[in-house]
Amino acid sequence: MTVAPEIRYQGEMHQLQKEIMAKYYAEATAIAKGNGRKAAHLLIAGNPVELLRAFDVLPIYPEVNVLQIAVRKGSLPLIQKAEELGYAGDNCAYVKADIGLFHSGYETPFATIPKPDVLVCNYVGCNVYLNWFEHLAELTGAPAMNIDIPFIRTLDGEPTADDVTYVVKQLEELIVLLEQVTGRSLDWKVLTKIVERSAQTGELWSQIKEMTKLRPAPYDAYFDSVTMMAPLYTLRGTEEGLRFFEVAHREMTAQVNRKQGPLPEERFRIVIEGPPPWPKLRVFRDMFSRWGAVAVASTYSTVGGLWEFGFRHDPAHPLESIARHMLSYNVCNRTFLQRYDQLERYVKEWHADAMVIHSVKSCRLFSAGQGDMREHFVRDLDVPTLLIESDLEDPRYFSEAQLRNRIDAFFEALEQRRITAGRAAGGVA
Amino acid sequence: MRYAAGVDVGSTQTKAIIVDESHAIVARALTDTGAYLVRAAERAFESALSEAGLPREAVGQVIGTGYGRFKVEFGDAQVTEISCHAKGAWALIPATRTVIDIGGQDTKAIKVSDRGEVLDFAMNDKCAAGSGRFLTNSAEAVGLQVSEMGARSMDSKQPVRLSTVCTIFVESDILTYLAQGKKVEDILAGVHGAIAARTVALVRRVGAESEVTFTGGVSRNIGIVKAVQEKLGVPVNVSPDSHFTGALGAAIFAMERVLAGSAMTGSEVLA
Amino acid sequence: MTVTLDVFPAARYRDVVEDRDFPTVREYQARTGRAALGCYPVYGPFELGYAAGLLPVGLFGGGNRIEIQTADSRFQSFICSVVKSTMELGFQDKLGPFEALMFESICDPARNLASIMSRNFPKQKVTYVHLPQNMTSAAAPDYLTSEYRRVLAELETVTGAHVTDDDLRASLATYNALRSALRALYAFRAERPQDLLTGELYTLTRLATIMDPAEVTPILREALDAARARDGRVKDRIRVVLAGAFCEQPPLELIESIEESGCYIVDDDFLLGWRLFRRDVPIDDDPCRALALAYLNDSLHASTKHDLRAPRAKALIESARSHDADAVICLIAKFCEPGLFDYALYRKALEVESIPHLYVEFEEKMWLYERIRTEVETFVESMLFR
Repeated sequence: MTVAPEIRYQGEMHQLQKEIMAKYYAEATAIAKGNGRKAAHLLIAGNPVELLRAFDVLPIYPEVNVLQIAVRKGSLPLIQKAEELGYAGDNCAYVKADIGLFHSGYETPFATIPKPDVLVCNYVGCNVYLNWFEHLAELTGAPAMNIDIPFIRTLDGEPTADDVTYVVKQLEELIVLLEQVTGRSLDWKVLTKIVERSAQTGELWSQIKEMTKLRPAPYDAYFDSVTMMAPLYTLRGTEEGLRFFEVAHREMTAQVNRKQGPLPEERFRIVIEGPPPWPKLRVFRDMFSRWGAVAVASTYSTVGGLWEFGFRHDPAHPLESIARHMLSYNVCNRTFLQRYDQLERYVKEWHADAMVIHSVKSCRLFSAGQGDMREHFVRDLDVPTLLIESDLEDPRYFSEAQLRNRIDAFFEALEQRRITAGRAAGGVA
Repeated sequence: MRYAAGVDVGSTQTKAIIVDESHAIVARALTDTGAYLVRAAERAFESALSEAGLPREAVGQVIGTGYGRFKVEFGDAQVTEISCHAKGAWALIPATRTVIDIGGQDTKAIKVSDRGEVLDFAMNDKCAAGSGRFLTNSAEAVGLQVSEMGARSMDSKQPVRLSTVCTIFVESDILTYLAQGKKVEDILAGVHGAIAARTVALVRRVGAESEVTFTGGVSRNIGIVKAVQEKLGVPVNVSPDSHFTGALGAAIFAMERVLAGSAMTGSEVLA
Repeated sequence: MTVTLDVFPAARYRDVVEDRDFPTVREYQARTGRAALGCYPVYGPFELGYAAGLLPVGLFGGGNRIEIQTADSRFQSFICSVVKSTMELGFQDKLGPFEALMFESICDPARNLASIMSRNFPKQKVTYVHLPQNMTSAAAPDYLTSEYRRVLAELETVTGAHVTDDDLRASLATYNALRSALRALYAFRAERPQDLLTGELYTLTRLATIMDPAEVTPILREALDAARARDGRVKDRIRVVLAGAFCEQPPLELIESIEESGCYIVDDDFLLGWRLFRRDVPIDDDPCRALALAYLNDSLHASTKHDLRAPRAKALIESARSHDADAVICLIAKFCEPGLFDYALYRKALEVESIPHLYVEFEEKMWLYERIRTEVETFVESMLFR
């Protein structure tokens, strides 16, 4: 009899992540307390964090802040505060939580978030980002810049040459803005070094992602990937960030050598599409763990960047490679149909049994039209696919009984099919 | 002869079914769920036992299903009502390939194999939940019992259009229509049409393969059945035992366990 | 000659603008052999399609005429109606007159819709335009010019036409004339709202989205003359600016209900993309660049255009002031994120400026207006008896 495992996979990487994130937030708090260092607010999708690091500007991601708050069960009061101010029930709850956080003096249980010295709105796919940072610009009065990333829209699925030129020019304008904000000029050698570390990080992360092609997968490519995503965004390009990925890589390799996975038994290999429900992350994970279901790949882990299909930053062409990262090497700026292709590769090359679409109301970039996606995978590709919904930040949209019911029914059906297939093959069920 | 039972604890009613080895129904029981789910499950099961004239120990396995399935504390395992409705509908009408169930909480469309296995299923979005409550509110707004709605709507010549199936707005929309002098039957036909439209959208997600069987309590509302049938463009089966489909499916899963003498279909995992 | 209401030009077209069989488009196609370019809101470079030999036609979903049967299974219940009902037009085989569809970077659901439409309806070529959101970058004019050249090349493949710069300049001139006629109607309505009701103005503007601009412009001018010839009595109503319905469109009956509830609407953002420019696009050497510069520097504020130089709340206040409005009605489509986000900023700015406002949520699929009528009447009473 399998029950929800009490033992969760907690390796060295999980511990190290906690330490370096605590240190990161201590740096953030120090800035908020007025140590004179500068902080920029920017967004996760295709983030150009290398440029900020080159100016020693601390990157602050509102998304990371509010998801950390959600995991600690603190998101609802912040959301409600924003709703009192006129934000709608149907607006993205990440934005509402961040607006609520601003009006709470940027105090969180884990840090004081510094007000932005500069707002860098990397508009990479998500249109809500533009609204979000407009509102922050009005609230904080900080200098703001939209970095406009043309969406992938040609048949070959690549940005045009003019797109790359346009983005590189905007990055040059960002450099000028950062020079004004920090009062120092860009040291290209420093930037090149940072971009080189990003390339090394991308290589390690990519290799780590390859490992879940094996049986058993050494870690859960959804629930454990999120542990690696925070350092990937906040610390990419730093020595500390690179060291984290070296540790993670070593640990995963050891898991592979021991043929050890995150669960006692890997019974179903799934691909998960969509962001996780942060306010109920553990409950949600257990709903899969009790069935022995392990995620072998996830699109959410490619929000900030898509490395597993070959992209690496290029220290020889720092700005151009940052531009390409923003334009086409992250899931957010690719078309919905390119996401179908990405998921199809995951199902085939990562040997998955089924796909789970977690539709979150807040993020329409991810969710709008996932019924069509499900249709494609079930009808055209014959991949068993479950569509469930809740939210990434707002606990009011998480209906535990409803989700459990659907997830249980899905795995019951998969198991039934396995038994039938086993009987047909003459084996003992 | 060996026996097995299924207990379906729904949000309003709890149903129990006992079957024999040939899957024939030997007893059925129905009780209001009320606030104490554990007691409702026991009541339904005991009532079925007494109808069958069987002692408790004659029943080899009991499976709980429905939203309150974890409250069937005397049961041997739990299976979701999606699997049970598929199995039950297939048992009642073996040619069933698509199952529609409108429940108080959820509406579901299930694609079923020729063995009664779930091939695919789709359930309503969160914002479109509560068709059952929508019906109750609509009945209240026109001053009828829920059970009277179906027959009354059949007199409709010109159904009204309802903009949403939002339970919050339906009452004020209905009051507006009444104030405009619209007939009750036309309003009810509008209500049924709105629910049917939502339901058919779900069915299209799994594909409306014939034969289609409508299960659950709402299948007794002839107005909704007719509206679904019209929108789907294929005939829809309703079994006289349609109300017991979930419990029957659970009983059949329980019988599979009895016969196999070991773990079957997912059940142990759910225990 | 006196003009009475029932022969006023708008009345003739009331039904045709909402007809999802697109009778005017089919008639035009039969007459000219030109196929249509379906243009999803809010704004796209219509001139490029027209120059390539296509008729740009506004594609505003299904209104309250089309029952959604299949699109609900592709888009979740928290997605706005116009996305679903536009998809539904395809499922119900209403896209026949369209050889190509144009979508723009206005919001996330519209963006995904473009992909999903191309997968489900391969007969229609889907063109996606990325409109810049960094209006201040020195690189933006070059980018948008090249983007328009790219879009033009895609549209050329649809018709096989080779479009010259002269063709483009002619197209710009035709649309300049159309927008100028619309600007004149809007200016007239602001001045004499009793002589040009918003329902009428809306119908005329909507007509401009489904007809050849060269053919519709004379109709608009005729309508303006007819309106000028009226001499309506000014009723005791408040003057309001409407904001928020820039994409999904409310039923005409809803617009009329709002006015009948005691308002004169003196400015609005209905069908905004079709009259986006403040003045004529200059006809010069590089027509694509001229069109790009007009978008970047000379366009009305829109909730889908993020210009850090010009906050939209400020633009709304300016509109209310310059139109001598008593109040603002935020008429926002259900589930419309750009509209809902802007509302949060509008509300704050309106409160600071002490301009009363009413928030009204609508959906294209509405058949009952009592609730909204009551809300607006109550709001108007609170203003009149203050």
